[in-house]
Amino acid sequence: MIDVGRICVKIAGRDAGKKCVVVDVIDDNYVLIDGETRRRKSNILHIEPLDQSADIKKGASHETVAKAVEKLGWQLHAPKTKPKTVKPRHARRSKLAQAPAPVAEKKPAVKKPAVTETPAKKAAPAEKKA
Amino acid sequence: MHARTPGGRNVIQYKARKPSRPHCSGCGTLLHGMKAMLSRALSAIPKTNKRPERPYGGMLCSSCMRRTIIEQARQ
Repeated sequence: MIDVGRICVKIAGRDAGKKCVVVDVIDDNYVLIDGETRRRKSNILHIEPLDQSADIKKGASHETVAKAVEKLGWQLHAPKTKPKTVKPRHARRSKLAQAPAPVAEKKPAVKKPAVTETPAKKAAPAEKKA
Repeated sequence: MHARTPGGRNVIQYKARKPSRPHCSGCGTLLHGMKAMLSRALSAIPKTNKRPERPYGGMLCSSCMRRTIIEQARQ
C-alpha cells in the first residue's frame, strides 16, 4: 500500500490535511515524505494513502516531486516569488528641502483655473439679475 | 459568592467564576492545549498559545480531526 511515489494525506500534526508523496521508505514504521508538507520523516500511522501514485524514483528531489505531481493535476505551493514592486524610497530631508520647487509650481497651476472660473460664475447670475 | 469570616465578622466576598473548559465538537471530550480564561485575559495572549496549530485546532480533538480528514480524503 505504501510505496515510493504513493500520494498520501498527512493526518497528524501541523501539516494535517496536506497532500504529500512518499519519497523513500525508511523502515517498517517510517517513510520520507515531500510535497505540500515539509520534506520530513513521517510515521506510517500519521499518513493516509490515496489511490493515486506519482512516477518518481526513490529519494527524488523536491523539484522532481513537484513536476511529477503536476502531471496528476495538483500543484505544490510554488516558492513565493513575488515580482518586486518598486517603492519610492524616502528621500532625505535635505533633498526634500530642495525638492519643493516643483510642488510650488503645480499648486498655483491647479488653483488658477478655479480662481478664474469662480468670478465668471458669480458674474453670470449678477448679469441675470440685472 | 463566598461568605468568609475575617477578624471575627462575616463578610461576603465575590469571586469571578471561571469559564468552562473548551470541548471537542465531535465527541465532547476536553480539548488539550486550550486555555480556559476570562475573555479579557484571552485577548492578551497570542492565538498560538490558545489552541493547537493544526487544522480544526481548538474545534476538534486530534482523533476526531483525523477521522474527518480521512473521510474527506477518501471521497
